[in-house]
Amino acid sequence: MRRMLIPLIVAVAAIGAPAIADEAENYIKYRQAMMKAIAGHTGASSQIVRGKIDAGSDLAMHARALAELNSDLARLFPEGSDFGETRAKEAIWENWDKFEQAARAGTEATAAFAEAVDGGDREKIAAAFKEVGKSCKDCHKDFRQKDD
Amino acid sequence: MTRPRTAWLPGLALLLTGAVTASPSGDGEYLFHAAGCLACHTAEDGEPLAGGRAFDTPFGVFYAPNITPDKETGIGSWSRTDFITALKHGRSPDGDAYYPVFPYPSYRLMSDADAGSLYDYLMARPPVTRENRAHEPAWWLNRWLMQAWQWWFLEEPSPGPSDPQLQRGRYLVDALGHCGECHTPRTLAGTLDPDRYLAGTREGPDGEAVPNITPHRETGIGKWDADDLAYFLESGERPDGDYTGGLMSEVIDNTTARLTAADRAAMVAWLQSVTAQGSEE
Repeated sequence: MRRMLIPLIVAVAAIGAPAIADEAENYIKYRQAMMKAIAGHTGASSQIVRGKIDAGSDLAMHARALAELNSDLARLFPEGSDFGETRAKEAIWENWDKFEQAARAGTEATAAFAEAVDGGDREKIAAAFKEVGKSCKDCHKDFRQKDD
Repeated sequence: MTRPRTAWLPGLALLLTGAVTASPSGDGEYLFHAAGCLACHTAEDGEPLAGGRAFDTPFGVFYAPNITPDKETGIGSWSRTDFITALKHGRSPDGDAYYPVFPYPSYRLMSDADAGSLYDYLMARPPVTRENRAHEPAWWLNRWLMQAWQWWFLEEPSPGPSDPQLQRGRYLVDALGHCGECHTPRTLAGTLDPDRYLAGTREGPDGEAVPNITPHRETGIGKWDADDLAYFLESGERPDGDYTGGLMSEVIDNTTARLTAADRAAMVAWLQSVTAQGSEE
């Protein structure tokens, strides 16, 4: 029985490993889709906040969506999801505390933005939107690879 | 070249007036932001402007020096002329040719007055003691070669546009912002390729690809309107709602977000006026 132990462990690991890898890659696709959704609502909000178009009550919808999409960003980056085609930097898992902080900044900024939009004050909305953008930029600065 | 004996006087005056942390000339601080000195001359865990940041290039690894006014380890004993010579002509006070990791080929286009204002501003920063780390140039590279390179390659700047806004834009992009140092691909000799001005490169600093910022529609910024471009420089937001990251976000934070709206508009006008070039595949 003992002679079987090591081959057995290797076999289990070999069977288990692809399953884990699949899951991690799925997270990559999932979070890339999430980030695209966030970009969509951010870009749309930007056009409205900057007065380029008049979109009626759409801004409230975008702000709510942003707050929901940003409610738990760290969850999108589980351990092991750095293998595969992702722009997520290793630094995320090496500096998890700092990353969580950056993610939380996004949660707070989007929540504040949604609140400002409800309040209706144009200047407060513009200021809150700037903070949202800042939180996106700051996290990308430290934790996302550039591509192009 | 002897230094004036009263060079310490302005510093003492500032100290006595308690204004040592204020910029001695309104221009100097603005120029400091526009020229982007802070990010390169500050190490990740280091004091501002005390140097130490590493630049891994095809020509070796170079370490940014201490440009605080510390007398032993910084530039505290430099005269204004020393500084302008370094910034615009790439020569140390001892006459050594600098490696163009320091973007003097771009700063060369700065006016002496602006370079002087920068000097005043830097001399009023808090001095920090931090020894400069020796560069690790490629085995074939040395100061003599650098002198030859300077003699061969550094050219007088071309006259430029006559429109005042375009002139200002070009000055902000080339002389101060030195955008081409990242955004223009380099020749084998390490000079910026003037035929590919701002056309981007796959081999940029930190191994990151640098985008094409000519008005090319498919691969450059041709589809962005002036407002998009100005807003990007202010906030880092691209028209698709994504926010830039990496080294460019440092540029937004330290430089372009701190310019006046008119200056950003001037940069945009200049960028939209340059020759559109497709990116190489």
